This record gives sequence, structure tokens and C-alpha cells, in this order.
Amino acid sequence: MNKKKIVIEPVTRVEGHGKVTIKMDENGKVEDAFLHIVEFRGFEKFIQGHPYWEAPVLVQRLCGICPVSHHIAAAKAIDQLVGVDPENLSPTATKLRKLLHYGQVFQSHSLHFFYLASPDILFGINAPAENRNIVAVAAENRELAKKGILMRKFGQEIIKALAGKKIHGILAVPGGVHKTFTNQERQYFLDGIQIPNIDTMIEWSKEIIDFMKNYHLENAKWIDNFAAYPSNHLGLVHKETGALELYDGRLRSVDFEGKELLNIEDIEYRYHFKEAVEPWSYLKFPYMTKYGRENGWNRVGPLARINTCSHISTPLAEIERQIFKAYTQNKPNNMTMHTHWARLIEMLHCAELIKELLFDDEIMGTDLVRKGTPRNKGIGIIEAPRGTLIHEYHTDDKGLITKCNLIVSTTHNNEAMNRGVRAVAQEVLNDKPEITEPMLNQVEMAIRAYDPCLSCATHALGEMPLIVKIEDHLGNLIDEKIR
Amino acid sequence: MRKLDKTLIIGIGNNTRQDDGLGWCFLDKLVEAGFNEDQLLYKYQLMVEDAELISEYETVIFVDANKTTLDKGFSIERFYPAEKVAFSTHAVPPNQILNLCETIYHKKPKAYVIKIDGYSWNFTISLTNKATENLNNSLSCFKSFAF
Repeated sequence: MNKKKIVIEPVTRVEGHGKVTIKMDENGKVEDAFLHIVEFRGFEKFIQGHPYWEAPVLVQRLCGICPVSHHIAAAKAIDQLVGVDPENLSPTATKLRKLLHYGQVFQSHSLHFFYLASPDILFGINAPAENRNIVAVAAENRELAKKGILMRKFGQEIIKALAGKKIHGILAVPGGVHKTFTNQERQYFLDGIQIPNIDTMIEWSKEIIDFMKNYHLENAKWIDNFAAYPSNHLGLVHKETGALELYDGRLRSVDFEGKELLNIEDIEYRYHFKEAVEPWSYLKFPYMTKYGRENGWNRVGPLARINTCSHISTPLAEIERQIFKAYTQNKPNNMTMHTHWARLIEMLHCAELIKELLFDDEIMGTDLVRKGTPRNKGIGIIEAPRGTLIHEYHTDDKGLITKCNLIVSTTHNNEAMNRGVRAVAQEVLNDKPEITEPMLNQVEMAIRAYDPCLSCATHALGEMPLIVKIEDHLGNLIDEKIR
Repeated sequence: MRKLDKTLIIGIGNNTRQDDGLGWCFLDKLVEAGFNEDQLLYKYQLMVEDAELISEYETVIFVDANKTTLDKGFSIERFYPAEKVAFSTHAVPPNQILNLCETIYHKKPKAYVIKIDGYSWNFTISLTNKATENLNNSLSCFKSFAF
């Protein structure tokens, strides 16, 4: 048998354009698999020459799903350009930014679980394509769909209250925030009159974790094994306690068995990471310099964060983390589909954090902006919904941006997604070099678990459609499906 | 404007992409005409949660720029829930939002779409002259039967 190559293009229910190529050898076995990211945007380039204070506004245009994450990461970097480190921001500004950030993570995780992932979970791998969408979920489980919509809405309303609108709003300014919170705004999220209140969000978050745990009990075999493979894990942890941290902390990496590989001040990332490139993708491949391209790559995102932290600071999410960790005897969890479970634990954590902040009077303070001695370099690192997000800016003495480096969450997960695709391809395609609907869906599911945002990762405009192709060893097309 | 009580008008587009701003400009003109702003919604794109929003109204009107060429440069059409659906976070057509509204909330608002021809989609905040003409014609027509 000749070598063949399978290409899936574009990948659906992910944020951005993707294409998958699977190469078969002469014996009909999967030789290799690649996730190509075929968009290009170039935000890092065209922001050069703009004044630094425009960065948090401009770069959030990278994405319509996680603009808040880019806004906040850029703001943290820009703070340093005006001489303000994270610990010197006013308590009110820090808490308002955190409230915005937790609202963002809550709505993004809701969107991913309810709109994108739940069809796979409710209907299974072999369900017909026409059933794998939110409408079919709504028809099958109306209450689940309603809750999903209202949970996402809650997070978006937090964003709107703080940033003025749900997409591409503005809260952060250099050295702080431009508005405070009012008691009226706070009551909107507490009284449950116009929208379900924060206590309801916590309850529903617990319910959906129970749903996931029950689903896991019934489907442990495939959910444990699907696209599972050992990897390193990277995430921010609290500087003193090592707890799960989403806004500001140390960068920590552990290997697949839990051995610590890295534990550094976040702003030192430049000395510990490099980015490799491949000719077949616009998406770079970050890795830890010390461990090299082959062994130094990390997974990021909910699963990685739960694997790298010592605990979670909020009580209900910590209980769920302990249950989650007990399943792997407190070792890192390398099961890709458990990312969904970890994501739901983070949703609960964010809901608890939002409640804490809503009851903190400091969010209604008036000390909003701090100033320091200007510098020419700023680095902002946060945990975005999809993982570690790095923004770095350099300016000249006039405050114009001369250099920008963005390493977004999906970029960190590039190697992990490629490994996931390869694992699935080897499982379902060996001896069957034919593109079937369940095969297409499984490849997508391996990618979708990371909730990748390919638009962000390539810094792109346009539609989001998966192309899969099979080619022989000479590059001749054997089979192709586009949807 | 009583005819438009319990009506939501959703302008879809992006005013930084030239004629893609037609949906928003349509709403701007309604504001200038004194239309109740609480019944107007500016959207880059539709999302699933819009099903919940429109479930609270008797009538919903979607206004969007159109790439193909219509006879009058615009059209106003009644439409109904989609029978088949697919989902992408980057594109949810209005008829799928209606389907979701019916499926989840058991509500069936009357739905119309106003399509207005656009011609250029560059990174510019202004409509082309021809698109502006189509916008004005569509507004005149809309006002004549709605106000």
C-alpha cells in the first residue's frame, strides 16, 4: 500500500481556521499528523508605532470571544510602562480588573461547555453531524440549554457593567481603571430580579460539575483514554501560597508525573521560553529553553492549571479539585477530555470569586489610577480562559511601541493539539484510510478539548470553518472532506 | 410609532468596515428620528443568547448589510425559524436564532430582515455613496409601513 495523507479542513466548533493533515505509510498505518493553522494577522507588527496607551484597546480586537483577556494582559504590561507594578495598583483597580477577568473566564467557559462541547458529551462520538450543535442540545435538554445561556449572560453582564459593552469595551487605563462600581450595579448581580443572581450561578456551576462527574462515571473508559498522552503543564500560581491564580502570579510548570520543571517570576519568561516555527503553520511552538523543543512544550488551560496549582482558594471549587485530583491519586491528570471537567471546576471557582468581590466594598472605591516612573518595557501575563497569555511591549522615549510579542494560550497548546490529533488518528485510522463522519468528529474533539482560539493564536479575520485530506507518500490526494 | 411597540430592532455589522456598518447606521437614523433606543440593539454578530432576548418581544427586525445585488438596493422580508441548524460562534443566522427561541423558550416572535446592499468592506468608518443611498431608501420604505 502506498503512503497516504488525510487532511481535515476546516476544524469546526473551534475559534478560527484549522486544517488537519494525516499521513499514512505504505502499510496503512498513521505515520504522522499535523494541525495547520492557516490564518495570518500580524497584530504584533501593525501595533508598532502606536502610542502605548492604545495597546489595551487595539489588541483586544484580536478576538470576539476573549477580548477582555487581551485587554487585561495588555493593561498589565502598560502599567509597567507608566511605572506601576501589579502590587502597586490601587486595591480598587486590582479588584475591578479581577472582577472583569473572572466574568470573562466564567462566560467563556460557559460558552465553550454549553455551546461547543456539550453536543459531544450529550450525543456521543457517533452522533450524526446535524445533531451535534446547541439546537439539538436545547431540544434534548431544554433546562441545560437555558442555564447555559443564562450563565454566559451573567458573565457578559459583568463585563458590560465594568467595560461598557460585552465585546471590545474598556475598563483598564495605564496604571488602573477609568471607572468604579456603583451599589446599583452591584445589586443587579445580587438581587436576582432582572437576571439570576450570583448564588444561582454558584448552584448551577455545582450542578453542571455533578452532571460531568456522572457522565464520567458512565463513560470513564473513553473519556479517560481519548487523546490521552503525557505532557508538561504550565500555569500561573499564587506567589505565596501556590494556589490556582488567574490574574497575577508565578509561572509554574510540572511534568506528567508532577516533577517541577519551572517556577519563575512571570516577567522572567523571556529567559526561559523560546518559540519554534514550522513551515506548515502560522502558529508558533513555544517551549522551555532548558528542556528543548522536543521535551519542553507545555499544555496550558484548565487542565494544566489544576495540575500546576497546590490548591484552589475558594471552598466549593477546592472540594471539587480534591475529587478531581483523587481520581489520579494526586498526580497530574494527562487525560485530554478531563479538560472539560477541569473547566467546570474553574467556572465554579470564578463564580465564588465574583461573589467575594461583589460583597467587597472596595470595588466601589475611588482610588482608581496610580503613577510611577515611566519605563520602556512592560510584560503582562494572565491566565486567560484557554491558558497562559503573555503580552510584552517595548516603547521609545516618545511612548511609541517599537516591539510587541504576544504568546497566546492556543500557541502554548499547539504541540499538545498536534499530539492529540496524532493520538486519535492512530486510534481510529490505522488500516482505514477513509474519512468517515465519526472519524472527523473525533479529530475535532481532540482539538476542541483545548477550546483553541485560532484567530487569537495567529494574531485572523474571517469565517471558522475543518478540512481533512488523505494524501499518499507522494502528496497525491486520496480523500478529502470539507465542512 | 405604536406599531413598533414590543418590537426589537437588531442592527448587525461593524461600522469600522465601511458598508458593513449599514445595520448600525440604520439604527442611528432611527435614533435621530426619535425612536426608543431601548428597542434598538447594535451587534457585531448574533449569538445563541440572542434567542433569550428576542423571546421577550412580539416582533423582531434584523437589519444587515447585503453582498448580493437586490432590485431596489434593499429588501424587507418576513422569515421563519430555520428547519436545519448548524452552529459556529462566528456566524449564527437570524433564522437559527428564531429556531432556538422556539425550541428553548417556546416563543415565536414575528421576524423580518431588512437587507441593504453594500459594496465595499475596507477598514474605514463611512459608507459608500451608493450604500448611503440604499440606506436612505430602505429607511423611507420602513417608515412608510412601520410608523
